[in-house]
Amino acid sequence: MVGMTDTEQASARTLELAERLRAAIGAAKVLTDPAQLRTYECDGLEAFRVRPGVVVLAEHRDDVVRTVKLCAQAGIPFVARGSGTGLSGGAVPVSDGVLIVLSRLRSIVDVDPDNARMVVEPGVINLWVTREAAPHDQLYAPDPSSQQVCSIGGNVAENSGGAHCLKYGFTVNHVMGAEVVLADGEVVHLGGSAPEHPGLDLLGAFVGSEGTLGVVTQVTVRLLRVPESVQTMLVGFHSVADAAGTVSDIIAAGILPAAIEMMDALAIEAAEAAVQCNYPEGAEAVLVIELDGPQVEVDEQFEHVETLARARHAFETRIAADAEDRALMWKGRKSAFAAVGRISPSYYVQDGVIPRTRLPEILASMSSLADEANLRVANVFHAGDGNLHPLILFDDAVPGAPKAAEELGFAILDLCIEAGGSITGEHGVGLEKKSKMAGQFTAEDLDTMQLVRCAFDPDGLANPGKLFPTPRLCGERPGVRTADTAPDPALGEVF
Amino acid sequence: MAVRSDNNTVLAGVTPGGMATPASAGEVADILRSTTGTVVPVGAGTKTGWAAAPTSCDLLLRTTALDRVVEHVPGDLVVVAEAGVPLETLQGQLAEHNQMLALDPPEPGATLGGIVGANASGPRRLRFGTVRDLLIGVTVVLADGTTARAGGKVVKNVAGYDLGKLYTGAHGALGVLVSTTWRLHPLPAAAGTVTVPVADAAEAGRLANLVARSTLTPTAVELRWDGGSGELVVLFESIPASVEAQSAAAIELLGGGERADEPPDWFGERPTGGVVLRMAYEPHALPRVLAALPAGSAGTASACTGVAYLSVPADADLAALRAAIAPYDGSAVVLGKPADLDVDHWGPVADSFGLMTRVKDQFDPGRRLSPGRLLGGL
Amino acid sequence: MTADANQLPEGASRATDQAAAEAVGARRPVDLGQGGPIAASAAAATVGLGMPGSGPPRGAAFDDHHPPDPALLDDCVHCGFCLPTCPTYVLWGEEMDSPRGRIDIMKGAVQGDVFDASSVRHLDQCLGCMACVTACPSGVQYDKLIEATRAQLERRVTRPPSQRWLRRMIYGLFPYPRRLRALRGPLRAYQASGLGRLLARSGLLGKLPEPLQAMESLAPRLGKVEKLAERTPATGTKRRTVGLLTGCVQGTFFPDVNAATVRVLAAEGCEVVVPRAQSCCGALSAHAGREPEALAFAKRVIETFEAAGVDNIVANAAGCGSNLKDFAHQLRDEPGWAKRAEALSAKARDVAELLDELGPVATRHPLPMTVAYQDACHLGHAQGVRTQPRRLLRGIPGVEIKELREAEICCGSAGTYNLLHPGPARELGERKAGAVLATGAQVMVTANPGCWMQVATTLARMGQRLPVAHTVQVLDASIRGVPVDRLLRRALDGPGTVVSTAAPRRR
Repeated sequence: MVGMTDTEQASARTLELAERLRAAIGAAKVLTDPAQLRTYECDGLEAFRVRPGVVVLAEHRDDVVRTVKLCAQAGIPFVARGSGTGLSGGAVPVSDGVLIVLSRLRSIVDVDPDNARMVVEPGVINLWVTREAAPHDQLYAPDPSSQQVCSIGGNVAENSGGAHCLKYGFTVNHVMGAEVVLADGEVVHLGGSAPEHPGLDLLGAFVGSEGTLGVVTQVTVRLLRVPESVQTMLVGFHSVADAAGTVSDIIAAGILPAAIEMMDALAIEAAEAAVQCNYPEGAEAVLVIELDGPQVEVDEQFEHVETLARARHAFETRIAADAEDRALMWKGRKSAFAAVGRISPSYYVQDGVIPRTRLPEILASMSSLADEANLRVANVFHAGDGNLHPLILFDDAVPGAPKAAEELGFAILDLCIEAGGSITGEHGVGLEKKSKMAGQFTAEDLDTMQLVRCAFDPDGLANPGKLFPTPRLCGERPGVRTADTAPDPALGEVF
Repeated sequence: MAVRSDNNTVLAGVTPGGMATPASAGEVADILRSTTGTVVPVGAGTKTGWAAAPTSCDLLLRTTALDRVVEHVPGDLVVVAEAGVPLETLQGQLAEHNQMLALDPPEPGATLGGIVGANASGPRRLRFGTVRDLLIGVTVVLADGTTARAGGKVVKNVAGYDLGKLYTGAHGALGVLVSTTWRLHPLPAAAGTVTVPVADAAEAGRLANLVARSTLTPTAVELRWDGGSGELVVLFESIPASVEAQSAAAIELLGGGERADEPPDWFGERPTGGVVLRMAYEPHALPRVLAALPAGSAGTASACTGVAYLSVPADADLAALRAAIAPYDGSAVVLGKPADLDVDHWGPVADSFGLMTRVKDQFDPGRRLSPGRLLGGL
Repeated sequence: MTADANQLPEGASRATDQAAAEAVGARRPVDLGQGGPIAASAAAATVGLGMPGSGPPRGAAFDDHHPPDPALLDDCVHCGFCLPTCPTYVLWGEEMDSPRGRIDIMKGAVQGDVFDASSVRHLDQCLGCMACVTACPSGVQYDKLIEATRAQLERRVTRPPSQRWLRRMIYGLFPYPRRLRALRGPLRAYQASGLGRLLARSGLLGKLPEPLQAMESLAPRLGKVEKLAERTPATGTKRRTVGLLTGCVQGTFFPDVNAATVRVLAAEGCEVVVPRAQSCCGALSAHAGREPEALAFAKRVIETFEAAGVDNIVANAAGCGSNLKDFAHQLRDEPGWAKRAEALSAKARDVAELLDELGPVATRHPLPMTVAYQDACHLGHAQGVRTQPRRLLRGIPGVEIKELREAEICCGSAGTYNLLHPGPARELGERKAGAVLATGAQVMVTANPGCWMQVATTLARMGQRLPVAHTVQVLDASIRGVPVDRLLRRALDGPGTVVSTAAPRRR
């Protein structure tokens, strides 16, 4: 809440910054009304709500540059936000800080099918890129389930994946260049439109840095040719073990599908209630398997996959007859998260990765943990790459339930770490999991990563408090700038 | 360059003060902690000419004894191997399980660490990407002896910064790679090529474009360029039926071509002689890049990717060439040159150079590691 | 664009602003130019610059009578899937004007947290199109939430005088068919006189308040009113007895549609009862939160159709049909009315819904033409009726349906939204008109008078003319064997089409 966590002095500084922002970029883009600020308190993760001091609705790169420069001058931190659909609290504002909203930077700047690339502003929605590329028989591969609303800028910050990243990779493999505003307002260009550039791959470090290294204001993305053939099948199994076994068999056969998704009975129930996807009745687990590529290749491999599924006792195999069918098969999977809202008053989605070969064993462990905690868990995952999304169902009216759900989530992450996996496959660390970073990495590992942070943002103004459990003092700079060292504006000094 | 196993070693024209060949990551850390001079890491030494000569080399740190394949989990398509493992050795082991690391730089005996440090790649980058897309975890030792990991053993992993990408192409300037983790691919069952002659630069562009916009999924499309003409090879690697079908489709698309079961000998080889450059540019600009080359240039290009390896005459005006390809986001980096020739190795710096300098200064404040080897003399 | 943007805020010191300007590389504060691709309406929406502000509620935000249900508010998991389908988010890209943000604003009120004049403005700016209800994977009943909230605002917020006057005029006129009919004479005279074109050319029209301009532009061409028989027998075997809701705007300005509705229903085996003394169904009032008014209308409609003794009550205006189905919810707390309302709501049907349910029996004659079918929000989103009209249209030989891009986004009519918020309504109208034109279809078919007027007017403002017809008019023409060119001509120039051919107005 405004004024509750900071001193009166800090709030006054923020309001003064708001005045300068109004002068610099226009009053219509600067919000300080508490009712309006409230709507920006959280992203897709409702658990963390922090009221910003100022919200800036940027419309142009210059708005971002000016905002960041004024923040740097005042020593006030800033957080960037796209569509606000992130699931790790990466866009949660800093209390009394500035929130820079990029949803109005939503132009498609350049479409270049000859070079298979597109230049877009960060507020452009993921699905729009594919829509824009479609007339040229091209597509943008990273497809998070929230792709109809999540922004490219957000995808860059989180290195978002999606169902098709098993074959095609993640955002970092499909971003060629980025224009970035650094924390002192300097604009740099990382990467570009050519496949290589001399020097360090700063773009590679920037993608997935969760807004802690700067604000992206333009992105060059790589497009792929729409494949000749796409075949999707929906397979029902009477046991999760059979489904998991099928996945292993497919990989062992040397087949690399475009996507293999798994859902368990509870997740299916929710999806059914939400979108009536008509999944195989009575299935304990379903697999959605998609193969794409040249027709001959897909046809033969598809048959092979069917054979493998039957060998593992699949009781129903449905093949999508056309685009509409395919869309419906995917609809169930893609709305699964929010759909569990229909079968439970509350839920908490986690995101962890385990080596694929450990899947059945980990699922069994998760099941026991859930039983112990007296909570139900619906499972949706990218079976192909071992990325789990346990949906922990609970009733927030029951005392202690939210805490138990969170603890179960973290216990599952511990399982992931023990198994040699990761605490996050695609949602990012953000606010939610920074405490777990020390479980996955040593202090040296984290300190080394923070060397990068110190190079990009020595004053720690870009999205502080996210990703790393403890901030690191940056080398030559003797500590982070504090309120006391802000310049006296009346003197007109510029730092 | 030449690295010999006696005391007369030379690296990119510089004689190191001493040499060490640690056998474990711990030993690497000890060396860096207990010494204070400049250090240049090297693997098999096949690409030491790919970066500028170091301004100083008190110690040549060879990683060739870090040669263990630590863990291969075929079911997860993941392998962990120390930096000194030669790629060929690794491929041999992976092939026993019908898998491969989809990297095909041609330098014989090259180590994994060296391939990462030099960002080496080959023709199959078209289909599988490069180190950037295949390296999922690293362990490095920093200039002060700190050992640090980044990434992990699973492909899907966004925890923390992906430092592996920073170390790629850094020629050891940020840290000494000691261990690498890779994502693997299944070995293809069959292969086949279609080769067509290319009469001029425009033709090269036209044919490359046809393939790029089609639904064909070759693993490589390589152009051999002989200063004015050459030939184009399209390589398919998949199940036999698909190789046949796509080869036939390619012949129809390109208006002819010869079928073969294997790529030609020149496939993936680097040119030699004169100044050898690695050029990168917007892929569609291929004909214009070829046209900008000085007379007597020869080499190969990954025709649909926008990368080419060319040898240009020793007296070529590199600055002019770089300026000519700049409109296509083009760059030309020196991979090899006559020993006594002085060249601008990397070309001009970009607006991110200040940032690069700051990164280098954070990782290696004393400028111990590979000093002066990178862009802008970093 | 507002002039305020470049002016320095009051009270700011010169030195501060100079420092700010230099910090960002400008020489002087006034050198900081503004502007960008976001429309002027965004500025107005965001901070209400230049807009007459409503006051905040008196005392607590909401009272105890049917506040938005906290349980329904809790259904929202903040996923954001509603954002890209919300017209105001599509226009302005800000959280406060999205369903997710509006739910948050409602929560602010219900939890006793902040709720001020801006909250009221953002809630007012909601079109009530319910595209979010369609998009939401968690099943949030936003429609119930916004209606409950609007009722609260009606009771507890003092609007500025100009708004009060405007609303009084709108709601004192449109729900009363007799008053609307009284307007017909003067309106026909006005249209015939060409006074509108004179007003437009002279620039005087542009000087009228925007809502009046909007009303002037939206008024359709009036034709003769065919009197509807109180009882029309079914052709052939009688399958149902249905009552027709004649509607207020529909009945007055598009009486053709009502006549066609009766004919089609009869041809498909329905005995059609048209009760004489019908009132408005209260849709406009209900959607605006004018609860007592809406309930009064609802009760009258219930009484009227109970007396008529019909199997179904049919509406041919999307907004009306949706409202009829909502009576059960609106009157749930009124003893003596709850059950009666439930009964009526259960019988309510949209005409396309009913015809599809019955299945066609009357022969269809060919109408070879391409149709751009526009889903009216209160039919598609509110009632979920999408496949039925398309099936009916495809049942006519020769009809080819073209789908609109952004089909789920409202055209901007939204009941009286285009009168109360002409700026955003105009932008949305342009998007919709553009989408219609992009299909290259010969005729636009719609199921709501509001959409009809909005799109036709926008097309005219763009210098385009396109035939527009109601779904039943197309069916009617097919059943009666009307040749396609006659249908299209009438749809282009006949009653219901746009009168004003004024040049596009400057913003």
